[in-house]
Amino acid sequence: MTDLILQAVYSGLLQGGSYALIALGLALVFGAMKVINLAHGELVLLAAYVAYTVESRLGWNPLAAIPVAVTLVTITSALLYFVVSKIKTNREINSLTLTYGIGVILTNLVLMIWSADVRATTSSWMQEPFVIGELYSMRSEVLFFGVSLVLMGALWWWLSRSWYGRAVRAVSSNRDAAKLMGINPGYTELVSFVVAGILAAFAGIALFSYGVITPAYGGVLTVKAFIITVLAGIGSIPGVLIGAILLGVAESLTVTLASSALQELAGMGLFLLVLFLMPNGLFGNAGRRG
Amino acid sequence: MKINKLLLATLVAVYGLVPLLLGGDAYVMSLVIASLVIGGIALSWALLGNLGGMVSFGHAAFFGVGAYTSAVLTMQYGLPVFLGILVGGLGAIVAAITMLPVLRLRGPYFALAILAYAHIFRIVATEWSSVTGGSAGISSIPRLPTLFGFDFASKTGNYLVILTIVLVFALIYDRIRRSPHGLALSAMHDSEDATRVVGVNNTLLKGLMLVVSSFMCGVVGAFNAHYINFLEPDYAFSALWVTIPIVAAIFGGYRTITGPLVGAVVVYLVDQLFVKNIMPTGHQLVLGLVLVVMIIASPDGLLGLVRKFMRKKDAAA
Repeated sequence: MTDLILQAVYSGLLQGGSYALIALGLALVFGAMKVINLAHGELVLLAAYVAYTVESRLGWNPLAAIPVAVTLVTITSALLYFVVSKIKTNREINSLTLTYGIGVILTNLVLMIWSADVRATTSSWMQEPFVIGELYSMRSEVLFFGVSLVLMGALWWWLSRSWYGRAVRAVSSNRDAAKLMGINPGYTELVSFVVAGILAAFAGIALFSYGVITPAYGGVLTVKAFIITVLAGIGSIPGVLIGAILLGVAESLTVTLASSALQELAGMGLFLLVLFLMPNGLFGNAGRRG
Repeated sequence: MKINKLLLATLVAVYGLVPLLLGGDAYVMSLVIASLVIGGIALSWALLGNLGGMVSFGHAAFFGVGAYTSAVLTMQYGLPVFLGILVGGLGAIVAAITMLPVLRLRGPYFALAILAYAHIFRIVATEWSSVTGGSAGISSIPRLPTLFGFDFASKTGNYLVILTIVLVFALIYDRIRRSPHGLALSAMHDSEDATRVVGVNNTLLKGLMLVVSSFMCGVVGAFNAHYINFLEPDYAFSALWVTIPIVAAIFGGYRTITGPLVGAVVVYLVDQLFVKNIMPTGHQLVLGLVLVVMIIASPDGLLGLVRKFMRKKDAAA
């Protein structure tokens, strides 16, 4: 039994890497623009389907899809920014309905192009077992956990050291003051959407490489990313990673101990628990309470 | 008194003329009934959005819970159908009460939390198969009964029932909006802190709006269950029960009472009669497109746009 539990914790941990990438994208855009992008999960899904096309049409490894997926998703994300920035009044509320609408559009585009069938990778290279001691996983799971750690490191470096990254943080914390310091908030917001798109693209390819995808999965991913930000707050990258791993572990433990149908319920349970007991999240980030 | 005459004429038209003229055509009547169902949800969504200032993506939860409550109670406990529909609304209120902790969250956080709730209820309906029949669903849910010699299970009967439900809700909505609570709620939009300072219990009022909205949505869901006589989790908790009403409410203007209803009829009929014929799969894409265009061009809806235009014309004359 302990073996099973250990195994579940390990799988959940690996899954947490991609979740963290998705949640960070959502949090980044929310920080810079005060917009929750309800189409964020669909961006992830788009990358996943690009990987599927590259694999099924060209017979290449899904990793080869990275350049195309990153380009396509980044462009979509930038377009999304331009549409969102067109909102004139009451941006916080109107952007929700707007991005929800874009999510509906993207989901249906995916449905029309790739049909409603469930897709998964057929690459044996990706599914090769990778064993550490007693713990089993697929090669793709470990590979993409590593990739997401590297990306998070890069994101941390970018946010804390580079000019644009610091500009994004400046706009997040005080828009007007940032403006006075010569930062163009509009441009910064665009940059945050682009970076969120890059993270989403990698997460999408990861999800395709070790899981199954369907057109309806995008909405579920948005909810998961949101749950993570509620768990962790949006303040810090390590916080989001811990929140994401918590969600991944909770899900895989539920699958192991109860049933796979209840997987989504696990995240929700965690979410409600935190909401009741620690309304400011595990790492105390004030500002989302009414 | 111009308005009252207009209202009277509309009432005569919808109660008398519509069944007389279209009653024979079962297909058209079913479209009209479905668009009224959408209109009912759109109205309850708009009430929460307009009075409560909350955007909900979780109304499918209320719709589904209302439907299942009524279906299970009428089938297993022999509750009369009309009573079941009302109790369905109460079931949705219970669902709303479990959501109350979410009211601590602001704006976008609330919207997403309620979306998350809709997922929970769908999973519960699927997994709790001893009561809900699981993913296979429930079939042969009782129809509306025959009362006073009138068969409510007919197309015309169903139409009159859902029409009455929707009109009563519109009346309730109007009453709330005119009441002191409505005033407090609209003040809350301008400044939540200021209204709190003058002694308005924001959270209580918001909670009340959530309860009223959920009740309306639940009743409509329950009616729909008895109208189509079949339920399954993926249908009852479908995201469509959120998407079309939101598009309808935004399209018609969610800050008015007539807007969501007019929007529902227009959006649903156009979707079913034209768009679906052109694009059999993914026709919701057009709904999403309408939503995006409306939010950018005119967040107050088409009715708002027309009104603005009329006012300009009045001023010019």
